[in-house]
Amino acid sequence: MAMKGFTRKFKPLEIITEEQVEAIHRGILDVLQTTGVRFESKRALKLFEKNDCQVDYDNMRVKFPPGLVEECLRRCPSSFRVKAREPKNDLIIGGNTVYFVASPGMQTVDLDTWEPRPATKKEYYDTVKIMDALPNLHLFCCYTPYFGFEGIPEVMKIPEGLAAKIRNSNKFTWSCFSNDCEIFNIKMVKAVGTETIILAMMASPPLTYYNSAIECAFRTLEADLPIGVDTGTVFGATGPATIAGSLVTYTAELVAGIVLIQLIKPGTRTFIAGFPHPQNMRSGSPAFGDIGISLFDVAFNQICRKYEIPCRNTASAYSSSKKMDFQCGYERGIPAILSAVSGAQFIHVHGGMYGELAHHPIQDILDDDVAGMIGRFIEGVEVSDETLAIDLIEKVGPIPGFYLNKEHTRKWWRKEQFVPEVADRLTYPEWINSGKKTAFDYAKKRMEEILATHKVDPPLTNSQEEDIERILKEAREYYRKKGLITDEEWETYKKVLR
Amino acid sequence: MSNEILENLKKAILEYESEKAANLAREALEKKIDPAKALNVMTEAVRQVGDGFGRGELWLPDLVGAADAMQSAMPIIQKEIERKGMKVETLGVVVVGTVFGDIHSIGKTMVCTLLAAEGFTVYDLGVNVTAEKFIEAVKKYKADILAMSALMTMTAPEQRKVIAILKKENLRDKVKVMVGGGSLTEEFAKNIGADGYDPTAPGGAKLARRLLNK
Ligand code: B12
Repeated sequence: MAMKGFTRKFKPLEIITEEQVEAIHRGILDVLQTTGVRFESKRALKLFEKNDCQVDYDNMRVKFPPGLVEECLRRCPSSFRVKAREPKNDLIIGGNTVYFVASPGMQTVDLDTWEPRPATKKEYYDTVKIMDALPNLHLFCCYTPYFGFEGIPEVMKIPEGLAAKIRNSNKFTWSCFSNDCEIFNIKMVKAVGTETIILAMMASPPLTYYNSAIECAFRTLEADLPIGVDTGTVFGATGPATIAGSLVTYTAELVAGIVLIQLIKPGTRTFIAGFPHPQNMRSGSPAFGDIGISLFDVAFNQICRKYEIPCRNTASAYSSSKKMDFQCGYERGIPAILSAVSGAQFIHVHGGMYGELAHHPIQDILDDDVAGMIGRFIEGVEVSDETLAIDLIEKVGPIPGFYLNKEHTRKWWRKEQFVPEVADRLTYPEWINSGKKTAFDYAKKRMEEILATHKVDPPLTNSQEEDIERILKEAREYYRKKGLITDEEWETYKKVLR
Repeated sequence: MSNEILENLKKAILEYESEKAANLAREALEKKIDPAKALNVMTEAVRQVGDGFGRGELWLPDLVGAADAMQSAMPIIQKEIERKGMKVETLGVVVVGTVFGDIHSIGKTMVCTLLAAEGFTVYDLGVNVTAEKFIEAVKKYKADILAMSALMTMTAPEQRKVIAILKKENLRDKVKVMVGGGSLTEEFAKNIGADGYDPTAPGGAKLARRLLNK
């Protein structure tokens, strides 16, 4: 048993030709061989040199022979399993399986003013619980829902966030790094007998890897965990303004990361993350909600298929809208379906509000319908003797024949139709009589219901809980000793912990 | 004749042609045109593009294009001004960088460009800049302003650290400190004792003027 996700039952959408995929691939090999990538790590540079890369130690620049690159791409498994706390939540990653991942946001949103503000500890834990209850949300991303909660020191935000997810859900979660916190993240997941995918190998575009990402990659592989390679190009700022050009630099960054991973530990379960955007040429910010992201992602999915490495798409993770409104719906719904029909294995939808800066549980609930709707679409149309129903059609015949009272209808309608949880599907009279409610109102109500009734099944055992607390304590002491938690922060933190 | 060269220099900047602008600057000096006049038309051109951006008619690539074209002609003109013993017309020297632990570069680079376009002399230290490097650069370039960018709540406190070291080294009253970046707020900036904060890069350039009363 494993998390089922959704299965795409038809050929994926392609927007570039096979020759164009090849041209991009050649471009990537060319950039890796002639321009190279900067790796700010002696340890990595030595390993590259040992494997016939050309290494310029002064500039920390590595140039890759194409043969090695191709070999390392082949070493990545095309599909693999990762372990969650419960086998029912394990993921089998690869091929036609699509999983929906929550989108991280820094803060929560005040529903009266729509302004972002830090989440409280209770809001963090409650939101995780809500996310645990949603059937079409298959796993957590790192720093979802929020980047920590109020009153905790910066360095403890990631470990405290992971602990909250382990405590209030048994769905699989990715995690991340900063200031060595991956040490404690790894200990926590191991203590509860699960794995995590750390988005460790994170490039800083253009064409650079800093030491912290590389160190985290070494640690992740030592712990025998799967790993995510990641980058975040802004076309026109940290990559070329053209989609094709940014496909080259972005993928070259990821592939360089893959080479390092597969040299350290051949066969490592690797998946490709990434966060591409055109630049908003007014503010300089990534253009969240721009259709250019989908053009990029759909072509990128074709490249990942060629490499046979699972990947994720983020086009539907955020909109530029600050509210849960029409713009937010179309800027995320359209990209989400484009990602699903074009072959991404992971798609971010749930909960993301403006530009990675906010998340909200009501948005999670609304998005669960979006995910369900898209999931139903990619499962496609079943054509069999039974669904064609020729015998039944013969039996029912013309008017006054009727299908509503047939067993075939009772058996099939629920499989064929997607029934949304919170969308308004009422007729006008029903709608007027029930107080003219919208999807937003229903989502709010569902949030309250979930909070009142949902239980994490099974909850952590006492000894697991003790382990988590012990590891958090260790982290706190580690950062206190390093001077990264000031006395003032410590006093506030202690109050939050009570 | 000299007017024509200056017209062309201005046009080169308005059309974002870096190489042409540098060549025209050289030509202007060969023809003994007053370098101060050349500098004037260059500043005028960039201001024109900046105003177009402000009105929403031009876009970031235009703004950066003009600033770059000006930057390529600038050293040539400046050198001549210095050679003549005239005072280099600069609004001030600004040292800019993203703080230690933080590799976000996009906003910081915009700030550099807009400061340069405004008429400041800018030294871009890049990203992941340690407090020591900031201090060293402030001393070396005799900076009037230190501008720090931090995109993460985790790295923003680095700015407090830099300010503390400035104080220790008796540099704090010699240099204005301005801060910015996605994770910052006005309140935080006040709290750490910065002289100024602005949520945008164009606003940052104006803030720099205000800080130096220019
Ligand atoms: C693009 C991006 C990246 C790119 C950066 C590429 C690059 N070369 O810069 C990549 C993918 C590499 C990246 C990496 C990481 N990122 Co990042 N990133 C972003 C993102 C999406 C946009 C940032 C951006 O470029 N904005 C556009 C520019 C123009 O805005 P800006 O820099 O704020 O600048 C404007 C103003 O602030 C002002 N300004 C800026 N500086 C200054 C200075 C002065 C003096 C003044 C006056 C004004 C000023 O001018 C600019 C324009 O007007 C943000 C989310 C977001 N929406 O902001 C996350 C974000 C900043 N990243 C974040 C994180 C956590 C990371 C990572 C740690 C991820 C990880 N490891 O898992 C790493 C960082 C590693 C490190 N050590 O630094 C978090 C920070 C969370 C927090 N607690 O603060 C954010 C908020 C996302 C999130 N919700 O988690 N990131």
